[in-house]
Formats: sequence, C-alpha cells, structure tokens
Amino acid sequence: MQRGTQLYAGVALFALLVTASLVKAETRKEFRFSVGPRPSLSIINQYGPISAKPSTGNEIVVVAVLKSDKVEIDQSKNGNRIDLVSHLLPGANIDNARVEYQVTAPAGTSLTLHTTTGDIQVEKVHGDLALEGASANVDVRDVANCHVHVNTLNGPITLTNVSDGHIELTSVSGNITLRKVDGPLVRVNSSSGSIRYDGDFAFGGEYSLTSHTGDIEATAPSYASIDVTARSVKGQVDNEFPLQPKTHSAFSMDTVRNLVGTAGKAASSVKLLSFSGKIHLKKR
Amino acid sequence: MTCAEFQRVLPDGIDEGWSTQQKSHLGSCPACSSLVEDLNAISREARLLRACAEPSPRVWDSIADAIREIESELELVAAEARALQASEEPSPRVWNAISGAIQEMDSELELIATEARTLQASDDPSVRVWNSLEIALRKEGLILQPQREHSVIPFLKRWRWAWMVPVTAAVLIAVGFLNRPQPSVRVAEVTPPKPPAAVQPLSSPEDQQVLEAVSRRAPALRATYEDNLRSVNAYIQDAEESVKSNPNDEQAEQYLMDAYEQRAMVYEMALDRALP
Repeated sequence: MQRGTQLYAGVALFALLVTASLVKAETRKEFRFSVGPRPSLSIINQYGPISAKPSTGNEIVVVAVLKSDKVEIDQSKNGNRIDLVSHLLPGANIDNARVEYQVTAPAGTSLTLHTTTGDIQVEKVHGDLALEGASANVDVRDVANCHVHVNTLNGPITLTNVSDGHIELTSVSGNITLRKVDGPLVRVNSSSGSIRYDGDFAFGGEYSLTSHTGDIEATAPSYASIDVTARSVKGQVDNEFPLQPKTHSAFSMDTVRNLVGTAGKAASSVKLLSFSGKIHLKKR
Repeated sequence: MTCAEFQRVLPDGIDEGWSTQQKSHLGSCPACSSLVEDLNAISREARLLRACAEPSPRVWDSIADAIREIESELELVAAEARALQASEEPSPRVWNAISGAIQEMDSELELIATEARTLQASDDPSVRVWNSLEIALRKEGLILQPQREHSVIPFLKRWRWAWMVPVTAAVLIAVGFLNRPQPSVRVAEVTPPKPPAAVQPLSSPEDQQVLEAVSRRAPALRATYEDNLRSVNAYIQDAEESVKSNPNDEQAEQYLMDAYEQRAMVYEMALDRALP
C-alpha cells in the first residue's frame, strides 16, 4: 500500500515537472517603439501567425509569444523603420520554433509581414501592406488608400472592404476571395486556385483576374460601369450580366470562350482571363 | 473656217466662249461639234471630281507648314555646313573637350573593371533577376527551345558494328539473370509501388536547386514547394504553347508573363527570406 502511494506521488511529481518545464519554455516578450509619422514595420517569421491592428498613439507595440528557446527574436530600429526577425537556433523545427506576433501600430504604418506557415491578419490600417506566406492564410479587412501586395503558395487570400487600393495578389494554388474591393489597380494572378470577386469594380480602375486552371467568378451590381473582356482558352465563359456588345475585338468571337461588352459608361476595365478554368460573370 | 483652224483655237473657245465664225463651223461640222461636246463633258466630270477629292484647307495648311519647317531645317543645315566649311580645323577648345571626355571615360572603365574584379560569387544576382532576364530574352526571341540530340554517341553513327553493342549488352544481362543465385526460402512477391502516372518530375536544374534549398532549411515544406512548382511549370508550358500558336495575341503574352511571375515568386519565397 505504501509502495503504491509512493508510485503515485512519483508520477504526479514527474507530470508536474514536465508541465512546469513546458510552461517555462513558452515565453512572452513585448517590444515598444516610439515612432514618427508614417513608420514602417517588418516582421520575418518562420512558423506562426502574425496579426496587426491599429492604435491611436505614436507607438508600435509588438507582443511575441515564443514556443521554445529554440527561437529568439532579433530586433533593430533605424529612424522610423523597425525590423523584427525570428531567428532559429540549432535544433529548431516547425513545432518548437513557432512564434506568435500581435502588433498594434499607428494606422498609417507600412507593414511587411512574412511567415511560412502561420496566418496573417491585418485590419483597419492605411499604410502599405506587403504580406507573404507559403501556406499562410492571409486575411486583410477594412483598409483604405494603400498598396496591398500579397504572395502565397497554397495559402488562401481574403480581402474584405478594401477601398482605393493598389492591389496585387499572387497565389499558386490558394483560393483568392475579394469582397467589396476597389481601386485604381486590382491585379490577381493564380495558377490553380479559384478567384472570387464580389464588388462594384469602382474607381475607374483596371481590374485583371487571371488564372491557369482555377475558376473565376465575378459578381457586380447592375449599375457597375465596366468594360469587360473575358476569355478562357480551353474553358467556358458564362455571363449573366447585361452587357452592350462591342463591335471591335482583338480576338476571334467564339462566344463560348470569349466575352466582350460594356455596361454603363465603361469606366473600369475588367479582364477575366483563364487558361482552362471556367469564368462566370454574374449580376448581384 | 477649217477643222484644223478650229482645233487650234479649241482650248481658248472652251474657256472663253465661241466667236460667230467658230459657232457657224460648229453648226456645220459634226466631228468638231462632237469633240467639243466630249470635252465639255470631261470638264464637267473633272470639276465634280475635284470638288469631292479636294483636301480641306486644313490639310493644305498642314502640308505648307511641314514644307516650311523642312525648308527652315534645310537652311539651318546649310548654314551649319557653310560654317563648318569655313573653319575646317576644330578650335583647341573642342580638342580639349574631347580629350577630357576620353579621360573621364577611361577612368570610369577602370573603376568598372576594379569593381568587377572585387565581385564575389555571393554577389550573383537573385534567381528572380535571372528569371526576369530569361523572360525578356524569350520575348525577344533570343532564347529558343533546345534541339533534341538525335544521336547519343556520334561516333556510333560511323561505326558499322554499332548494332552489336546493345545486342551484346542484352545477351550479357540475360545470361546474368539466368545464372543468378536462387534463394533457399521462397519469399512472397512484393510489387514495388508505382509512381503516380500524372505526376511529372521536376527536371529543371533550377527547380532542383530550389527544392534542395527548401529541404535543407525546412524539410516539412519540400512537398508544398514541389507541388506548387509543378503547377507553375504546367502554367508556363501551356502559356508558351499558347504564345507559339498565337504569336500576335496580347493576352497569350499576358498569360506567359503571369506564369513566369509565379515561378519567380516561388523561387523568391524559397530562397530569399521566408525560410529560416
């Protein structure tokens, strides 16, 4: 009986030590930087998510949660430019080198955020955004009057409520979704991922959605002012939007695979191009 | 009045009208009368033609302006030529300027040569730069698809007993197979797994280099990069074929540029800074 009690006590002690060691390994660090107008922040992370939200003061605050001591954070500040890099140490791997970053920065901060596997979330800023992640799920919402450049391999990209943006999105196999997105330039390039656009095609801009095998679906209201060129080399083009036909076109008018036409005053240029994906233009 | 006399005054008569004598000749001579009728008809048609084919005064003005401009340029050239002829030998100031420019160029070339000598292997441009160059050169038509070599060993084409080589190899393999040591215990036959037929290998050395770099730095991501490179290569292949079959198609060009851009992005993500 006494021996059994000792055994239980030993197991409990071991579990306690293991838990304590794990808790100790995960560390939280906070970085604070006083900045002037229009600062820029760059975070290069290998594994783990990055999120960014606006703040009201003149301070950038970055909270980083490090999974283990196999990773450390290098920081530098030169004037208004701040760089943070997750620096992997010997023995680091995808599990123990994870770092979670939470950023609060003045709304005009330009952000360069790279991560390989974690998600990237940015909201309510109006500084330029350069976001990159191999498998990262990139989500940008409620931003205005800025450049938004996003690159992923298979990570999906979602932009919601982005106005007056200079937008360039490239993904090899991730699905790309744009809701209420407009600006002078909206360029989306995907290889096998699908592209979905639901918005006004406003701003008299140039909208180019291109894919290799991925389907493209664009939805616009009946009052949209657009000059549409849709073409799928080997796929099909379906149109439910009331368009005025154009008399002159640069390519042969195979109506199954090509569509050209205008609506309203044709203020914005809309190009929907796919190699073998299906293209669908819809009226909201 | 004879017909010859009448025809001598014919142009004046058509423009200014006929005298009594000429009118009486016209009344009596059907040949001259018919000639005058034809000339009048031609004149009417010509007036109509002139009215509709005449360019607008704006066109004539533009032509006159252009001629005036050319004339003034020619005058300028002539004046320059006369001035040059007057002083055949350039002034010492000109020679000094030329000499200074040559010296400056010489020192710049020396500086470039020094910089080039100090360049290290690590200063090689990124894959993205090479890729952009490749895109530009392909667009210019300076890079062509490599021609497949039909003969693996050229001298075999000239050697009349060349056919003996594969035959001998086949015989040796067959003999070796028949004389192989037999296992004492019969083991169950195991069919090796076949690679999926649809998956194409990544044959490009650049792709292999990129994948090796990914394997070294983040082995867990190799499969992701491999899949995506395969997808991008298929994109490039389709786009290249599209451009070949429609060389003047602007959108085919756009597909190709987008496809190359994707590959550049994958390379950059693999090699630049998104990995440890």
